[in-house]
Amino acid sequence: MVDAVDRFPFEAMASRCEIRLAAPNARTAEGLAQAAIAEVRRIERSYSRYRADSIVSRINAAAGRHRVECDDETWQLLAYADHLYGASGGLFDITSGVLRRAWDFRKPRVPGPDELAPLLALVDWAAVRREDGAVFLPRAGMEIDFGGFGKEYAADRACALLQQRGVRHGYVNLGGDMRFIGPQPDGRPWSIGIQDPRKPDGIAASIAVSQGALTTSGDYERCFDLDGKRYCHVLNPRTGMPVSHWRSVSVLAPLAALGGSVSTIAMLKEADALAFLEASGLAYFVIDSAGNAHHHSISGDYAS
Amino acid sequence: MKVRIFFPLIASALLAQAGCTTVQPWEKGKLAKPEMTFGGDRLETRYADHIYTSREAAAGGAGVGGGGCGCN
Amino acid sequence: MTISKQTPQELAASLLAAALLLPGVQAHADEPPRNGSISLRYLDYADRQPGLDRIHAHSPSVSVTAPVAGDWSVEGTLTADDVSGASPRYHTAISGASHMEDERKAGDFAVTRYFRRGTLTAGAAYSTEHDYVSRALSLNGTLSSEDNNTTWAFGLAGSRDSINPVNNVVVDEHKRTVSVLAGVTRVLTPNDIAQLTLTRTNGSGYYNDPYKLFDNRPRSRRENTVLLRWNHYVDATGGTTRLGYRYYSDSFRIRAHTLSGEYVQPLANGWTIAPELRLYTQSAAWFYYDPVYDATLGAPFPPGFSNGADPNRLSSPDQRLSGFGAVTVGLKVAREIGKLWTVDVKVEEYEQRGSWRLFHDGSPGLAPLRARVLQVGLTRRW
Repeated sequence: MVDAVDRFPFEAMASRCEIRLAAPNARTAEGLAQAAIAEVRRIERSYSRYRADSIVSRINAAAGRHRVECDDETWQLLAYADHLYGASGGLFDITSGVLRRAWDFRKPRVPGPDELAPLLALVDWAAVRREDGAVFLPRAGMEIDFGGFGKEYAADRACALLQQRGVRHGYVNLGGDMRFIGPQPDGRPWSIGIQDPRKPDGIAASIAVSQGALTTSGDYERCFDLDGKRYCHVLNPRTGMPVSHWRSVSVLAPLAALGGSVSTIAMLKEADALAFLEASGLAYFVIDSAGNAHHHSISGDYAS
Repeated sequence: MKVRIFFPLIASALLAQAGCTTVQPWEKGKLAKPEMTFGGDRLETRYADHIYTSREAAAGGAGVGGGGCGCN
Repeated sequence: MTISKQTPQELAASLLAAALLLPGVQAHADEPPRNGSISLRYLDYADRQPGLDRIHAHSPSVSVTAPVAGDWSVEGTLTADDVSGASPRYHTAISGASHMEDERKAGDFAVTRYFRRGTLTAGAAYSTEHDYVSRALSLNGTLSSEDNNTTWAFGLAGSRDSINPVNNVVVDEHKRTVSVLAGVTRVLTPNDIAQLTLTRTNGSGYYNDPYKLFDNRPRSRRENTVLLRWNHYVDATGGTTRLGYRYYSDSFRIRAHTLSGEYVQPLANGWTIAPELRLYTQSAAWFYYDPVYDATLGAPFPPGFSNGADPNRLSSPDQRLSGFGAVTVGLKVAREIGKLWTVDVKVEEYEQRGSWRLFHDGSPGLAPLRARVLQVGLTRRW
């Protein structure tokens, strides 16, 4: 009954990923992990901006021109994005990816307002038309991307696949966003470290989790420092400038897609984040720009 | 006696309509605690059933199939 | 999409609901991981009435539960009762106490198959002592709703007992019973779960107590129970209240009410403390006769015996069939050691008195019965 836990590291979605699971023997574990990894890669391919044949690329290429029919999965992801737009007061906007064209986080350069203005004109989820199973981006140059919750969605799908195949212990870790299948084989929860935002190998806190998801948004994933100020990849869709109130937001949620959305929205909400996190009803652990941690746990057996 | 019929009807009506807002899986953390289940320690429950059956007339209630004894 | 102002509860609920609509995700595994366990337990029971120590029993038992091959689990129990002492031959008469010593061994075994939405359990039980052998078979099933908030339970069981009292009052008697059960368990809130169970037992055969004088009971018995239980988690303390009410009625015209309450309070360092209180009241069987004896012959003869009353008429001077109320007060202390071991000690005091019967008068003239129960248990999980 006490199965060994096997680790299966891999690269996907531009991050280091890992699946850990307990299975009766090594061959079964390998087969299960490969199936889950295949599902992650399928989602990566379907929603990648960089592949011309992906549904996202086709929708973006047709911006300002014609509507594109999408399958059920994409339709539901767009519906979820819409819901997040409303829940975040317009801050979570999947059309804000165009701002990438102004920000290159490999070079420490802050773009000026004249660079951002034309891009901000293309950030407008409210203008996107979704009807009859097809989506239309009204202005040429508009783009959608699921970077805001795509990795987390893939973690949930991989977890569901493994659960359906009888896996009861393990987790799926995609670049730091984790979805737990179940506790360790002896029933003890996994002890997960939340990364210290200012020390790449440091841990800010340890959380014991046995089910659900632990997702983190931080200002350290893609960023540069200039004149003592940090500029991170989480951009406010209205100003085009990075948010700066929080160093990291970690959320415990029943689904990684939910946790990832909430942690990203909390980063975007800046000073209003704590009220939003309280309203979401989820357990959270946040570190502010001064390095102070705030946290809130709910009762239940997610974490101790 | 009317009480006999009344009671289970009321109780089952209460159980049926109570909890109209569905409890979600992630809200069931507390319900999973052993003291919140109806099982209890198997051996402890058996001892209790055995003692009360041998000192009182009423027996059973929670389960069937335990077998009997000539308890004095 | 209009940006609406939502209350915090609405926001939480809408976010969760929206996330769940994502295709192919599920928020929880379909069934919880099952663990195995082995338990040892020891019982020391002693009852008494004023002026007489009655029955003393020592009972060790062992129980094992083990998951098997993914969708199955098996469970087995063995127990040995070492019983000795005095038991009145009629009512609570000390002079007529019959001394007895017996050893009872019992075992049972059950196999459970887990399905996506339910379980099926087949069980067998066997118990043997000098004068009594009991065999039982049972089949129980549960069925859960999709959201796992409602679980229906069904059960069917039968038993066959063979009775050969050492005093040879009767030889090779039998008793057969058939029982059915129907129940529903319902999750009401994140802190509340309730259960309603109905059982019915039909039995025929030898119901007399062969060691009691003038004990002649009907050769059939139909019993009904209604059991209502409610567990509630108290957020403020982290403790749980466990309440139960059982109504019992049978064809001996015995009606009984049982009200039980337990409060489980986890403390620091793995300790748990659980006080309990149980209140019980029952009416007398219609053929029970009070300790008022025949005018001519005296004790233990039932009234009218000397006047040529039918010797086969039904009667019993058994205290257990009288009208009385009873109270149990108990305390259990448990300690979890590491993640795998649990130790507990439970002590209870029980008292039964005719005058404590609720709603009506209890049977007069019987000495109160008191019992002291001590249990020690050890469980290891894997």
